[in-house]
Amino acid sequence: MKENIYEPRLVTIKNIRDEAEGIKTFTLTFNDPALNAAFDYRPGQFGEVTIFGVGEAPISITSSPVNKGYLELTVAAVGDVTRALHLKRVGDVIGFRGPYGNGFPFAEVYNKDILFVAGGIGLAPLRSLINQMFAERDKFGKICILYGCRYPRLLCFTEELGKWSDLSDSEVLLTCDTNPESDWQGNIGVVGSLLPKIEVDLPNTVAFVCGPPVMIHFVIQDLLKMGFKGDQIITTMERRMECGLGKCGHCNIGVKYVCQDGPVFSYQQLQELGEKI
Amino acid sequence: MKILAKTKLVDFLKSLQGDSEVLVPLKRNGDLLFGTFDPEQPDIELKGKTAIPPKEYVFPQREKLFTFETNGNKVDIRDQASPPKRIIWGIRPCDLQGIKTLDTIYLSGYSDNYYQARRQNLILLGLNCNECCDAGFCHSLQTGPFAKDGFDLMFTDLGDKFLVAIGTEAGKALIDKSRGLFTEAMASDERKADELERSSWATFERRVDAKVAKARLPKFWNDACWAKDSASCILCGGCNWVCPTCHCFNVEDTATGARTSVRIKYWDSCQFGGFTQMAAENTRQTQAERYRQRVFHKMSYTPDKYDGALGCTGCGRCIEVCPGEIDFTVTLGRITQK
Ligand SMILES: Cc1cc2nc3c(=O)[nH]c(=O)nc-3n(C[C@H](O)[C@H](O)[C@H](O)COP(=O)(O)OP(=O)(O)OC[C@H]3O[C@@H](n4cnc5c(N)ncnc54)[C@H](O)[C@@H]3O)c2cc1C
Ligand code: SF4
Ligand code: SF4
Ligand code: FES
Repeated sequence: MKENIYEPRLVTIKNIRDEAEGIKTFTLTFNDPALNAAFDYRPGQFGEVTIFGVGEAPISITSSPVNKGYLELTVAAVGDVTRALHLKRVGDVIGFRGPYGNGFPFAEVYNKDILFVAGGIGLAPLRSLINQMFAERDKFGKICILYGCRYPRLLCFTEELGKWSDLSDSEVLLTCDTNPESDWQGNIGVVGSLLPKIEVDLPNTVAFVCGPPVMIHFVIQDLLKMGFKGDQIITTMERRMECGLGKCGHCNIGVKYVCQDGPVFSYQQLQELGEKI
Repeated sequence: MKILAKTKLVDFLKSLQGDSEVLVPLKRNGDLLFGTFDPEQPDIELKGKTAIPPKEYVFPQREKLFTFETNGNKVDIRDQASPPKRIIWGIRPCDLQGIKTLDTIYLSGYSDNYYQARRQNLILLGLNCNECCDAGFCHSLQTGPFAKDGFDLMFTDLGDKFLVAIGTEAGKALIDKSRGLFTEAMASDERKADELERSSWATFERRVDAKVAKARLPKFWNDACWAKDSASCILCGGCNWVCPTCHCFNVEDTATGARTSVRIKYWDSCQFGGFTQMAAENTRQTQAERYRQRVFHKMSYTPDKYDGALGCTGCGRCIEVCPGEIDFTVTLGRITQK
């Protein structure tokens, strides 16, 4: 019998880390050792997570393909599946199928300066790419990471952000929209407010933007004002997804299916698609 | 080409029964629908098209994908049993095209196992249309009123007999198996069928110029027509349920016991606000945007994505069924004339 495209593969939760308020990072391994060894993906791809009896949700893979033998998902509890996942413990078995989608360009941006602009949990898919780029550090120019959240307790991957900023020829700037706690030493303001603080070699830079829809919208406007061209801005689209396989029709925008042709698009491609991004 | 006398149709359908369920158009409680052929009540309806297309035999309204049984960290996943063998007699050209379009969508890229299993077990015996049905416009999309392909056997009603065209080996095997019910057609039978096709063409009123519409649609993206023409929509989803090419679905898990659950795939409608609802936003909030999506998806996106595949077969059902009397051929008519 041919492989069933809808069938979730069993995975075991090996580790759970409290990432930020309402956000956890799960480390998973496939129960089938052969599948676990063979599983490969590109940064920016995602999978469908199953909580048996509750349902499925599309979640980006936040680990990097250089990390063999396991995968990591960072999940905000917002609905049925994600809340049920947050109740799981180490050792519990859930389902996963994937990887799906196109993933971020990688070899295509060799030798470029890379600018990451992330908001909230939007850093999760970018983290996969960031770690992949640092693993092949000599292939890229300057790497600059701008990261913002609504308030400090929502910041994800704080330890890694520190590590990344220590690496050569890289810069990490953080910001929070508001600061209800007084111990925050960093910048206050939306993530776009960090853009004037960095130096950009415009023709040689590619920007990767990921976060909530409003944040993506405003950051893209800022980048265009700075002089970025549509094909120098790479972003991800979130759409409701029921299959991840190009069948259920939910993620359709114009002639594209976000689950197959995306979720990564350049701003130029999105403009050609017409529908609200 | 073969000939089957009308009086032999029931015998032929009987010869198909056995390991297959045979479905035929039947009038029940005033509605024309496909139902299981019963030799005791062989009142097969030869006129008109069924109220809903036979897509449910390849893409059921609700289909079980899996049964899950969890026991601590042991999870047992079972998928559904293989579908029954089915033969549909009397499927119309528009609905043959519907299945062709669904084949393209469901079997390309990741091939849908459930669809494929049902499709492999399905034999399509068509019936050409000697006259236009209510609201149909298949002639303008070249999907009807006479089918050119997509069938195993194709029947044309010549009055007291059927002319039968053979589309596939599987279709031919059914004729061979029926032992002597069919005779060879003569040139005059084929001429009669050609005449019937021509006279059928003359009965159509509604038309859609799909090529012109597709070319002009992008210019009408922000047109007021989408809001105006969809204002009477009551969000029933009927236009999607009756459409032979609509293929969108939801997937949902439901508990069936303390440790067991089922995963169901079921039809969804792009006309519902929840279709594009996400945690942070909804990308199609107005009925105008959703109506525009339905029309663009059928007339533009599907042919562009699937190498010319038709997103609309011209069956006219979405027009007949709509309680808001929304007729997208009227919208398209204005777009192609402007
Ligand atoms: C490619 C991709 C990658 C993603 N990556 C991540 C990631 O890495 N981490 C992460 O945390 N999230 C990610 N998401 C988002 C995540 O998939 C959604 O938040 C998803 O909805 C969570 O599923 P759920 O079952 O928990 O929520 P749901 O129960 O589906 O609820 C989500 C929201 O939709 C509403 N809703 C659901 N169904 C309907 C309906 N029929 N009508 C009206 N409203 C409805 C709910 O009220 C709620 O507000 C990603 C999404 C995509 C498309
Ligand atoms: S059939 Fe008519 S009223 Fe019902 S959803 Fe479709 S357009 Fe709206
Ligand atoms: S869009 Fe309407 S006319 Fe076209 S195939 Fe679907 S139901 Fe028939
Ligand atoms: S998620 Fe089903 S088609 Fe994209």
